[in-house]
This record gives sequence, C-alpha cells and structure tokens, in this order.
Amino acid sequence: MPRSATSSARPAGTAAPAHFDFDGIGTSWQIETPRELDPGTRRLVLDRVEEFDRTYSRFRADSLVTAVAERPGTHLFPPDSIGLFDLYDRLVAATDGAVDPLVGRELELLGYDASYRLRPAGAAERAAAEASGPAGWAADVERDGRRLTTERPVVIDVGAAGKGYLVDLVAELLRGRGYDEFLVDASGDLVHSGREPIRVALEHPLQPGTAIGVAEVADASLCASASNRRVWGDGLHHILDARTGSPAREVIATWVVAADTALADGLATALFFTGAHRLAETFHFSYVRMYADGRAERSRDFRGELFS
Amino acid sequence: MNTRQKKLALATMTGLSISAALAGCATDTPSSADAETVAPSTSAAASSAASTPSPDASSDSGSADASSSTYADGDYSATGGYVSPNGPEEIDVSVTLAGDVITAVTVTPDATNPTAIQYQTQFADGIAEVVVGKDIDEISVSRVAGSSLTSGGFNEAIDAIKADAS
Repeated sequence: MPRSATSSARPAGTAAPAHFDFDGIGTSWQIETPRELDPGTRRLVLDRVEEFDRTYSRFRADSLVTAVAERPGTHLFPPDSIGLFDLYDRLVAATDGAVDPLVGRELELLGYDASYRLRPAGAAERAAAEASGPAGWAADVERDGRRLTTERPVVIDVGAAGKGYLVDLVAELLRGRGYDEFLVDASGDLVHSGREPIRVALEHPLQPGTAIGVAEVADASLCASASNRRVWGDGLHHILDARTGSPAREVIATWVVAADTALADGLATALFFTGAHRLAETFHFSYVRMYADGRAERSRDFRGELFS
Repeated sequence: MNTRQKKLALATMTGLSISAALAGCATDTPSSADAETVAPSTSAAASSAASTPSPDASSDSGSADASSSTYADGDYSATGGYVSPNGPEEIDVSVTLAGDVITAVTVTPDATNPTAIQYQTQFADGIAEVVVGKDIDEISVSRVAGSSLTSGGFNEAIDAIKADAS
C-alpha cells in the first residue's frame, strides 16, 4: 500500500519511543519500539543473540565454527543456518568468489584472529597455509541443508552477512511476540518496521562526525560497510577479497538498502569487489558507494540525498 | 547478456578514448541498481581509438531505408583503449541505433587489473560525484550508519597495541 503523507507525522500525544540497549556479537545494539519491550521478549532477544554467537563466532573456543576449524568432518548447524548459507551460496557465485565464508583463514593470517593478534602472520605460517592451497566455500565445504562436511580444517567467517542475518532473526522474534513497529540497530546495520520513515546519516568514512548524505528507510534494511572501520596496520583491514586474501582498495565505504538485513549486509561487502550492475543480475537493492578519491555514486532508486 | 539500457557520457571520461561517433537520446529504463548517469553529450567525439564501430551482421549499412537517417539502424560495438596507471586497459561499448538515435548503450568493463576493474565498473554504473561531509549535528537524522561504530574487543586490542608501542 502506498504510504500517504499523513502517515509521516507522529500522532499527537505519542510518547517518546522506548529503547533496549545491549551488547551482542561484539557490538552495540539498540532496539527502538513505541512501547517498552516486555521482560520476556528482552530475555528471548538476548538468548537469540547468544545462541548465534555460540554458533558462528570464530573468536570463541566453544563455538561451532571453531569446532569446524579444528575437526574436519560433518557438523550439524542450527536450522536457521540454512537461510544464511543459502545467501552465501548466491554471494559467492555473484562475486566470483570475492565474498566467501572461508575468508576466515586469510583474516587470521593478516592478524584478525581469535586473540586479536592484529599483526600479520610470519613467513613460515603463511607458507604453511599456502602449501595446502586456497580454501573456497564451493570446493571445500559439502553442504546438505544445515549439515556441513569438510575434509580439511577450514575457518568459516560469516562477517559479510552474519550480523545482518542476526538482525533479521531478532526482527522475526519481535514480530512473533506481537511487535509490529520497531527499529533494530546493530551499530549501523539496521532494520526498520513501521509506517514512519527514518532518516539515517551516511557517515563520512574519513571524517567521523560528518555525513556524506542521508538515507530514508521505511520497512526495509540498511547496512553500511567501510574499509577503515577496523584497521590494524598499513593497508590491513577486515574487508578481504577471498580470492587473493588482500584487503580491498579504491572503494572505501558502501551503504545498501534491501528488503532484508542479511542481504543488505552481504551486498555492502560485495560492492567492494563487484560492480553493482553485476550484483543486480542476482539481487534487488539500492546503494551508495564511495571511492578513495572522494567521489560517491548512488543507484537511481536510492531514497535519500548525497551532499556534493 | 546485459539488457539494461544506459545513457552514455563519453565526454566526461577524461583519458578514455572510444570511437563511438554517435550519440543521441537514450531510452532510460531504470532497474534496481543502475546508477545515476549524466545526460549524453550531443555529438561526440573524434578520438584516437584504434577501433571503429561496425554494424552487426544483422544490419546492413548500405541499405538504410528511405528515411533521412545518416546512420543505418542496428547494433554497433566498439572497443576503446586507454592507458591506466597500471598499463593499457580496454572497455567495450555497444549501442543500438534507430533513426540516428541511440536507443540502448551497454558498457562492459574488460579490465584485468583490479584497480582498472574498479574504475571501469564505476563508469559502467554511472558517473560519481565528489561528496562533502556535513556535520551530523546539523542534519536531521535519527540514526548514523558508518565507520565510527566499532566493536568493543577490536577497539580494546587496538588500544593495547598503541599502549605497547608507546
């Protein structure tokens, strides 16, 4: 149904929205709702986030992906993993492998490992890793639904789409508990549900505190990715081309609006390596992409403005 | 096959020479992730590219119909070369002509060097504008999406390294 102009005004007498703040999967979350979340729902949200972390965090010794990394063989993932792995199948194909969950090993070699070493691996460690050949999602993981079988140790990293996927899982939980209007914001990766659009600043990746534009989001998801978000050395950051293990250059920030947060999250990473026209053959989204030379491009249907 | 139709702005590509000597009003069929482009220049562009447009087999340049078209209708393609900082690269441009008007343009990046791929993709998707930062406090927004929001563990590790190093 088209949104009418009258729906943009908050009804008179509506109280300020309620906020539920918490930390999960290593980042700050905020859920905004017109009325306060009930304690039972808050507990379920925290449990849901914890369950996700226990499955997918490669920074935890007790996680399932750590078990996969240590013990080749067959591992059974939770039922909700199917949607995430299906998305990765499509992202791997659409980016010709630039986005690949097995980039985890390369991240470790560059120093983004469970101990936050943040120093690149020595020559011997890198040589040992390279002797065994590059790992790829298509070649090294045999998947049957949520059952993954590996023949050698592989490091799964769902950093490209995992946080967005968890935002979607939390949104689904809220709807199941009767909440129809909400904003779930996991530090810039967010989903909005409700009549009233929100305006989101697109933060300048090189000038904190300033924005290069504004996105208007209503009943959709927005995710941001910036190569300087986590930088630990000269040219070393967390957005890697899985084919080469090298950090992406040239593109310095991306923002994607899509129907769900997992997709927006994955595409925000994919746009560092793959042209929008190529991704549009597979996915429906709008975007803004900023380059190292200070220019930014936007898709025709991007709702919002850029400051030029 | 890329069926999306784009406007083409040859004149804005400094340093890129493509010998498409025709330009006109392109039809414009936005799709979800087509980028904005600027309007086409009216007639471009003598160039030094080694290639020239040639009609496909399906169009016969000698038998243009009785209309006053200067050019035969049909699909044309050309490959343009340019020298990037990483060496020579090529870009493919296809146009569809009807009554001397370009009705479709497809730009296909053909680069092998990653940097060139990036810039060609940028061209294929549209012309990017230089953007400037505005103070977030001065624009009316309720959320911020960007790079200053980093995870706790990561920031602690960076702080520890800085402390080690000082």
